[in-house]
Amino acid sequence: MTLFAEYLREGRLKLDKSVFADERCTYQDPCNVSRNGGCGRDAREIIKYLCEDFKEMEPHGDYNFCCGGGGGAIPMAGAFRERRIRSGKVKAEQIRATGASICITPCHNCYDQIRDLNKEYELGIKVLSFKEMFEEALIVPEELKAKDEDEE
Amino acid sequence: MAEKAGFDPQVFKKAVEEKTNARLKMWLEICAHCGLCADTCHFYLAADGDPKLIPAVKGKKVLEAFKKKDKIDEKWMEDFYWTVYGECTMCRRCTMFCPFGIDIATITSTGRGLCVSQGKVPKNLVKTIESYYEHGNQMEITEEDWVDTLQWMEEELQEELPGATIPIDKKGANVLYTVNAREPKFYPMDISQAAMVFYLAGEDWTMSTKGWDDTNLAMFAGDLKAAGYVSQLVRDAAEELEVKRVAITE
Repeated sequence: MTLFAEYLREGRLKLDKSVFADERCTYQDPCNVSRNGGCGRDAREIIKYLCEDFKEMEPHGDYNFCCGGGGGAIPMAGAFRERRIRSGKVKAEQIRATGASICITPCHNCYDQIRDLNKEYELGIKVLSFKEMFEEALIVPEELKAKDEDEE
Repeated sequence: MAEKAGFDPQVFKKAVEEKTNARLKMWLEICAHCGLCADTCHFYLAADGDPKLIPAVKGKKVLEAFKKKDKIDEKWMEDFYWTVYGECTMCRRCTMFCPFGIDIATITSTGRGLCVSQGKVPKNLVKTIESYYEHGNQMEITEEDWVDTLQWMEEELQEELPGATIPIDKKGANVLYTVNAREPKFYPMDISQAAMVFYLAGEDWTMSTKGWDDTNLAMFAGDLKAAGYVSQLVRDAAEELEVKRVAITE
């Protein structure tokens, strides 16, 4: 993520902001990326290049709530699943309060947990990683694109 | 290290003694039970304020293990197991609000380590640890499957971007890109998306046939010996390939 922010800052990547212009986005700070990893600022920098309508959860950044899927809770599965979903209620309500249609998160634990919360708490959102959004929004120079065989 | 029945008091006592250190003792003794940590915890809030889920109360169970190390039995251990694995995700939010900065995550992790001494670890985490030792990743992905996945994703990507590649074991690259093993297993497109980003940014990057899984579920299990082994795999790959930076997925 730090690299992605660097590329955007240095102009090595260009994003088409209009792609997600009709969507309200929010961002899930993964505990080990933001609070414990100090990369919350990188995420916000990327978001400036990517989203027109961005709404923070409250609280966020260093004070974010865990999604409930951290500390190995996702792979523990089995009888732990119920506790995980129950403890995710706080995150589900935080997301709902933003009115967002997309929840971005760069962490696979958060990603899988929020997808589960989306179903269990009927949030009606899309959960996306930065990479998934980049795939849609990256501006690819014409000369790098695959050429249609008819044109060749 | 499979889950086994029974409780071995001697092993438990030894594990407690090994894990005792000044920092941990200070944290456990300095807690004033002020309760400021209570509503910082998502477990507590989601359960409408169940006092058993206050971080200080959960941490106190670890203190109990240290104080009553001779009197711990299987029943106590069972309750302890559910607390340390099922009621704390080691997110460290409570620490931000604690007047003493007590690190409940480290305390929970120590508690999980005590469970490890009894082989009482969630069996799916045990499976991942066995997989790290056997395959170098948590998802039992063989080196052959891994390289196949990378080549498959490269082909997919080249349909859109003919010049893009997924370099493997390129010496001296600027960036070694590592992923979560869930990606090749469940979300392989994550890899081609990352490759697209690196290609368009003109990055000199590589992936590695070994030490490519940047997760460490051994750490979350509380098995610090295995956790050290897992971290070392990535470090070894970085040194072997003489890369300048290691990037982890997003």
